[in-house]
Amino acid sequence: MKLNLIGLLFGALFGGLLAGAELHEYDTIHAMLRLDEAHVFLIMASAIACSAPVLWMLERRGFTTPFGGEFALSRSMPERHHWQGGALFGIGWAVAGTCPAPALVMVSSGAMLGLVAIPGIFLGLHLRERQTRTDQHVGDGEHRDLVSVRR
Amino acid sequence: MYDLLPDRLPWYVVGPGLGFILVSLFVIANQPLGASGAYVQTSLFLRRRGAVAAWRVWYFVGMALGGFIVSQVLREGAEVRSGYDALRAVFPLGVVVPMVFAGATLLGYGAAVAGGCTSGHGLCGTSQRSPASAAVTATFMTTAIITTFVLRVVTGGDL
Repeated sequence: MKLNLIGLLFGALFGGLLAGAELHEYDTIHAMLRLDEAHVFLIMASAIACSAPVLWMLERRGFTTPFGGEFALSRSMPERHHWQGGALFGIGWAVAGTCPAPALVMVSSGAMLGLVAIPGIFLGLHLRERQTRTDQHVGDGEHRDLVSVRR
Repeated sequence: MYDLLPDRLPWYVVGPGLGFILVSLFVIANQPLGASGAYVQTSLFLRRRGAVAAWRVWYFVGMALGGFIVSQVLREGAEVRSGYDALRAVFPLGVVVPMVFAGATLLGYGAAVAGGCTSGHGLCGTSQRSPASAAVTATFMTTAIITTFVLRVVTGGDL
């Protein structure tokens, strides 16, 4: 229950920041990929530059999180599906000019073509699910055991 | 509604802000802030398949809600519009709609194959110093830039 509220809050913070930076606009993503603007690259780089050292320090320290058990980062080595998936994702990203989170913000900002993008993303995820018949790749990058946090 | 955020926020506010919420969710729940994972869970929820991480469905709703608050309440309410201005300046709507749908399907499929998207691998995975996430991020950045260049050439520089 509390975790659901945390989910809503973090979603709102994330969506709000995306909207603030106008990452939900096709034109913003397109300008980045045309290499006309550094805006999005700088956002991604500075986010990683801020969070990676903090996560590293917390990992060394070690502690128990309130909702997810022992604090632990996860890492894995690249496999073939990472290169293949990344390559296809990039092509789709360039054509659609959006990705999963900004597509939601696109709709709530009034841009109705987001209603075309969101079903497409659901369809793509679903096609892969049918192909593999597994929930192994749940889509969080380095992902976790979801069952352990269900409350 | 209130026009409190007339301009787009600069990168040095949004980037560290994203880093802060990313770290916070790890500290509170030991979970990455991946958006395609939220789509997967929402899809399972809508199809009434068991073992749904309910908080990720709330997270899905939250993203749209946060976008609404910033773009409609804190800003001068954006009107209902099509979006995709730069794409629509080049192609008619009859081309734009299938193009967006096809691109979105491809990126959804690719995110499922790679096991994450811009947020899951691009931000959270790289922040955890995962080599696989770095590989995915480098790959999608490269193919996206190449694809954009190809589209630019095909359209004679219009796009």
